[in-house]
Amino acid sequence: MNVASHLQKIRKLEALRSRLDPMDDFELWFWSAMNAGTHAVNAALHDAKITRADDVFPAQPGVYLVPQPDSSVRPAFHPLGDVLHVGRPKIDAPIPEDVAAMMHEMELIEHHRDPCIRGERPPTPAIAQQCERALRRCLELLGKRLPGAQP
Amino acid sequence: MSPEAHRAKAERIERSLAKCGPQDYEMKIEAAMLAGTHWLNLALHRMGITPPQTDVLHTYMLTVNELRKYRVADAELLDALAEIEDIRPGFVRGNLPGGEKAAERSLALLSLLRQKAQPDYSAGG
Repeated sequence: MNVASHLQKIRKLEALRSRLDPMDDFELWFWSAMNAGTHAVNAALHDAKITRADDVFPAQPGVYLVPQPDSSVRPAFHPLGDVLHVGRPKIDAPIPEDVAAMMHEMELIEHHRDPCIRGERPPTPAIAQQCERALRRCLELLGKRLPGAQP
Repeated sequence: MSPEAHRAKAERIERSLAKCGPQDYEMKIEAAMLAGTHWLNLALHRMGITPPQTDVLHTYMLTVNELRKYRVADAELLDALAEIEDIRPGFVRGNLPGGEKAAERSLALLSLLRQKAQPDYSAGG
């Protein structure tokens, strides 16, 4: 997806997160943080010319939904554009230091995904604070890379 | 995860959904996927098809054999979650027009999953 659309998605997710309680709404609060951070990483990867900013949408690694002239969409193999999650797929290219730092922050968030969202580990304020700090750092790094394009 | 835990997670996600507005269609679709997966797992555990130690994460991550087996138990449940999952790429990860309508469809499918996972569900009601 193009960078502007990623930034728009981040704005929407941040607006929603401001209405969610980190504890009472942990699942959606966490999931929207994960989505926002992944959009940030994708925008940074596009800006660094590592991945393509095409308006095709990942269904699984290597397969994207591709809009057709008749407004339908069709799954097709496509060069690397948006990643689904950090590490999915793994990027076999040198990553600039700031983008690697963003990806590291997202790994800190994703570490809690399966235990707390899919499993029975209760979310704690400490986990929520760690996720919030990681997302803030990720978005700050994007803001430095794309000055003037505040998500 | 136990059926009771799946229920608690699904219900909490659905309570959070009330804080989403029409513009938040991405997270409505994601919430339908997350809660719907909990309802599916609850149903599969209750039917004795899967033990609490075996949860479905996404239908597309199942083996063909697993998918076929679970569809024998209740194809409508599996198909409902699969349809929600298929909505995600274009509207959650992508910027296709029609996100609000896609979210409405996702929530209708979530409603079906919830109803069928309830122990007092009956086909007519």
